[in-house]
Amino acid sequence: MLAVQHLKVAYGPTEVLRDVSFDVPEGKIVALLGGNGSGKTTVLNALTGLVRPRAGSVRLKGEECAGKRPDEIIRAGIAQVPQGRDVWPSMTVAENLELGAVTRRDRAAIAEDLEAVYDLFPQLREKRKRRAGSLSGGEQQMVAIGRALMTRPRCLLMDEPSAGLAPAVVGDMVDAVLELNRRNLTILIVEQNVGVAAAVAEYAHVLQNGEIAVSGPADGLLDDPAVLRSYLGR
Amino acid sequence: MPVFSRRNVLLVLLAGALILPWMGNPYTLFVGTLLFIYVLLAVGLNLLVGYAGQLAFANAAMFGIGAYTTGLLQVRLELPFFAAFPCGAVVATLVGLVISLPALRLSGLYLALTTLAFAQATQWVFLHWENVTFGAGGFKTPLISFAPLPVETPTGLYFLSLLLAVLLTLFAWNVAASRIGRAFVAIRDGEVAAESLGIDLLRYKALAFAMSGFYAGVAGGLYSALLNFVAPEGFDLFQMVLHKAMIVVGGLGSVTGSLLGAGILVFLLEALRAFKGTQEIAFGALLLVFVIFLRGGLVSVLKRNARGWEEPLRLPERRARLLARPGTASVPGE
Repeated sequence: MLAVQHLKVAYGPTEVLRDVSFDVPEGKIVALLGGNGSGKTTVLNALTGLVRPRAGSVRLKGEECAGKRPDEIIRAGIAQVPQGRDVWPSMTVAENLELGAVTRRDRAAIAEDLEAVYDLFPQLREKRKRRAGSLSGGEQQMVAIGRALMTRPRCLLMDEPSAGLAPAVVGDMVDAVLELNRRNLTILIVEQNVGVAAAVAEYAHVLQNGEIAVSGPADGLLDDPAVLRSYLGR
Repeated sequence: MPVFSRRNVLLVLLAGALILPWMGNPYTLFVGTLLFIYVLLAVGLNLLVGYAGQLAFANAAMFGIGAYTTGLLQVRLELPFFAAFPCGAVVATLVGLVISLPALRLSGLYLALTTLAFAQATQWVFLHWENVTFGAGGFKTPLISFAPLPVETPTGLYFLSLLLAVLLTLFAWNVAASRIGRAFVAIRDGEVAAESLGIDLLRYKALAFAMSGFYAGVAGGLYSALLNFVAPEGFDLFQMVLHKAMIVVGGLGSVTGSLLGAGILVFLLEALRAFKGTQEIAFGALLLVFVIFLRGGLVSVLKRNARGWEEPLRLPERRARLLARPGTASVPGE
């Protein structure tokens, strides 16, 4: 589904990603892990066009996305749930969700997708007229995910969906990610929380110093004390 | 619909404005025209600052550019007012577009300083490019005529300003309730999130700057006709503070708030005209009070305590369906 090859990103003279290559197979959940400052968010931003890669290719089902504008990449089918939720606080929940579909013109399908988001997160339907800034952290995360879903993505990128959530809510988030995957959405999830990654992902890639250091099935990899110790600081 | 809803209150005010020329004296006619000019300025600035969240300080400069272009085209090239006036609006719009270029890279205080520098540079050009602008003394513009319409100049200008203020306020309401208004607010509320969802920052910031430039340009043209005189001091920092005060007092991110703010400040401006120097103090104090105690402006009080003053970022369902013509609705892409 998503094939990333030899991706290179630099901010001025500072190379953040040297040579990153990995695949996200269709219908799977893949985790991208790494310590602070290892470049995880930069990978996502390069995939969605927020950062222009210096070199390398990002293919979604064979279509080259590297170097395109964010709105073109969204239309191609990649959407990002940004870090820290980042909902638009002064807009209502419904306005946030509707604006997720800003790149689309197919009104009927947008309305269907809005219903689908409300079915996935029934709390949001109840609170659709509330200002997004007044919601709890977990609910804001739902808005952020729902907003990304409104672009009708084929591949969803999630940047630390569990960060800053109450432990009780993290479980709900895991369930939501698994449910989205059951609905045939391919997901690339960036996580600091190895527990969350292990709970949802089939494959995992560990990023270190701007390169993929280890990859493998999530089960074996994230149980391996050596991996946890050397790459993830556990 | 409650009796004191926004629509009813504004309709009564509009009715009052329509009969004012037969009730008032030349002075009230002048103040009325001035009010409509400030409504245009406040509405345009609020789209840029209140909705799109771009802290720009170039509104007075664009107001001046509209006034100077309209005035100079009449004096230097002897164009009639009704040809010069649209040119003034177009030039101010283009200048707005140019200012939007640094806005892509700058935000917050840096954008404020850059646009302030632009405003000061504009002021300098008005003052020192004497061969064209007549320098510090300014210049007189010809008295405009509404012939063949049977109205005198002040009355005609009053109705022209009223018409433009009403049309452009309605337009602003519709923009705010459209995809464009929501994109503006998205950029204001979270630029990264907006960009990551495919909102083209370049396009919408440029649009916000161009729109505020257009409103200021229209206002400038009317202002030159109202005073029959254009001089640099009319478009200085005090003018800018006046516009900012209007949208802060009325309510940032609210078209209705712009109307309220313009009304209150024009009233204060006139009430304090006899005491030169007190205007600045009064506006400064008013700004402080609102920034500290009433962040949402007057309109937020009305929204909380009266029904029918909400300004949702989209049209009511019924109107939205009427506006959505089949055929245009399902075209994919932009």
